Amino acid sequence: MAGLTLRDVRKSYGATQVMHGVDLDIEDGEFVVFVGPSGCGKSTLLRMIAGLEEITSGSVCIGDTEVNQVAASKRGVAMVFQTYALYPHMTVYKNMAFGLKQAKTDPAEIDRRVKAAAEILQITDYLDRSPRNLSGGQRQRVAIGRAIVRDPEVFLFDEPLSNLDAALRVQTRLEIARLHERLETTMIYVTHDQVEAMTLADKIVVLRDGRVEQVGSPIELYERPRNAFVAQFIGSPKMNFFDADELTSEAAGVLGRAADANVQIGLRPEHMIPTATGAVVEGKLELVENLGEYALVHLITAKGTEFIAKTEKPPSQAKGEMIGFTIKPELAHAFDKTTGLRLVE
Amino acid sequence: MSKRTLPRILQTPSVLLLLVWMLVPLSMTLYFSFIRYVLNSSIRPEWTTPALSNWRGLGNYKYVLDAKDFWFAIQNSVLIVSSILIITVVLGLGIAVLINRNFPGRGIVRVLLISPFFVMPAVNAVLWINMILDPVLGLQGLAVDGLNSLIDGLRDFPILGWFFNLWPVLEPISFRATQTSAYAVIMMVAWQWTPFAVLIFMTSLQSEDESQKEAATLDGASPWSQFINLTVPHLARPIAIVVMIQSIFHLSLYAEIEIVSRGNGNKNLPYLIGEFTSNNIGAASATGIFAVILANIIAIFLLRMVGKTLMD
Ligand SMILES: Nc1ncnc2c1ncn2[C@@H]1O[C@H](COP(=O)(O)OP(=O)(O)OP(=O)(O)O)[C@@H](O)[C@H]1O
Ligand SMILES: [Mg+2]
Repeated sequence: MAGLTLRDVRKSYGATQVMHGVDLDIEDGEFVVFVGPSGCGKSTLLRMIAGLEEITSGSVCIGDTEVNQVAASKRGVAMVFQTYALYPHMTVYKNMAFGLKQAKTDPAEIDRRVKAAAEILQITDYLDRSPRNLSGGQRQRVAIGRAIVRDPEVFLFDEPLSNLDAALRVQTRLEIARLHERLETTMIYVTHDQVEAMTLADKIVVLRDGRVEQVGSPIELYERPRNAFVAQFIGSPKMNFFDADELTSEAAGVLGRAADANVQIGLRPEHMIPTATGAVVEGKLELVENLGEYALVHLITAKGTEFIAKTEKPPSQAKGEMIGFTIKPELAHAFDKTTGLRLVE
Repeated sequence: MSKRTLPRILQTPSVLLLLVWMLVPLSMTLYFSFIRYVLNSSIRPEWTTPALSNWRGLGNYKYVLDAKDFWFAIQNSVLIVSSILIITVVLGLGIAVLINRNFPGRGIVRVLLISPFFVMPAVNAVLWINMILDPVLGLQGLAVDGLNSLIDGLRDFPILGWFFNLWPVLEPISFRATQTSAYAVIMMVAWQWTPFAVLIFMTSLQSEDESQKEAATLDGASPWSQFINLTVPHLARPIAIVVMIQSIFHLSLYAEIEIVSRGNGNKNLPYLIGEFTSNNIGAASATGIFAVILANIIAIFLLRMVGKTLMD
């Protein structure tokens, strides 16, 4: 078991730099999730930790040892790939035993560990099958089993659920959460899916263009995003942003701050309350998506900014009518319009 | 007309054509192998036209089995085919893996590697036996000469000279000789067919999953272990295909054998048939039937092997 420390980690492919100095501390036993838009460098960072990608500069430490020059197999990490990457010509058992065999582990010990891991993942019945005869979910479990068997200090997952269908994804997500509880090993998990991020993570790392935008617990990121990018990346549907001149004259009173031209106000759809008086923002009703449990109301301001409100019931107004919304002042966010940084109240 | 009839009728001509194509030569060969049939005979002119009255029964087969070159030709056929297979598959694997990465000039290297395959077999044989393997004028002769004069020069060297005095003068090998002509054929055909193996293996290597190798790297597998445990099983099917196609081609090698030594010390079944054909068609046909049997035995082995890799 070990924590990780990344110091000013950079990565270049030839002349193009893709990671611009990442600093990160991961505690022993923590579940860390990397999120960010496509191409932001999540996989690259993970692969640098794994040792599959050279570290251009900076240092990566696992436990107390710097591992920049340590071979991938000696770093004590195990990785679960998006495509499973099972060895197609070996049975499930041999897939799981392969790493131990390479390390010349005693056969009795290999057998014990493979059986134990198979037990945890409930794949004991498939041990003699070939991967091609397994379903996607079963393959994913074998891939996880192959990682567990090696008893690593750190587990790395690169979008492990993205090839599964929705139902299986929920189930496997729960299994991974349970696995983390049981093994208490450090896990680093890359995903696009913010539900996965919010539910699994002890700590979320939001990346953009090879830089860390914010590190924090899911709630911290949701409640106090450090900048507009994180604010709109975390939460679904996305946070709405308004310029000062789109707010009503009463807005300053309700929000407790006078917004000037250099400020952007961010309001989450689920926090917007329809109101007849004292609205912060008004919009013309465009479309209602009624999901039964709640409704997504699409609106457009007079200035043409589209926004969404998530309400308990569909609004009584007809399409084209104006609806006003208010919000609890402590739930409103304000960002500097030029730098995107959060303005501290 | 039922749904099946029309397609059947439409297929009939091509099926018939194929049957005729196959059956006519085969039955003629069978027929000739049971009669006395020679091209030229002043004593028994009636043998020069094929007729049932010249019936010889299994006599032609017995004659062929007793011919001094028959078992030698079978042995040699197997030796040549299997040596070429081993060399081309091993070299093909090695070269394919080596060039399956990015390096400057990769395109040119690939074209150069493939080019031996486009040389005509007879030309290939002439080039090898005269320009490369000839003990006097070929590269071999030049290389042996060069080595000899180098060693000669070193003999006069102070202190260490005695050591080189112990070395014998190197003799070039004559590849037209009885014992070595088969090796010459193996070398030149392997040279020509290795590119074929490389080509097939290379396309297959490109479909290999990179992340499997990365997983193996994390599992602590050395490049060699990855090659054995991942790449070779991945290439099982192309290897089977290369082996099968090459066996079919190399069982009927002729031009190379003719050019290297005119069958002197190195015959295979086709060459033996060729020799009989100069007069004794009956014996040639019997040999042809033996060749069919040998090809079938090998084909059954190969089909098993290919079938197995295709199954799993
Ligand atoms: N071998 C490479 N050569 C050049 N650039 C590369 C290479 N691999 C990745 N990149 C670049 O590095 C950046 C980060 O890629 P990376 O795969 O880490 O993104 P990601 O965050 O995992 O994206 P996704 O969510 O789509 O998987 C991208 O801009 C990509 O184009
Ligand atoms: Mg990725």
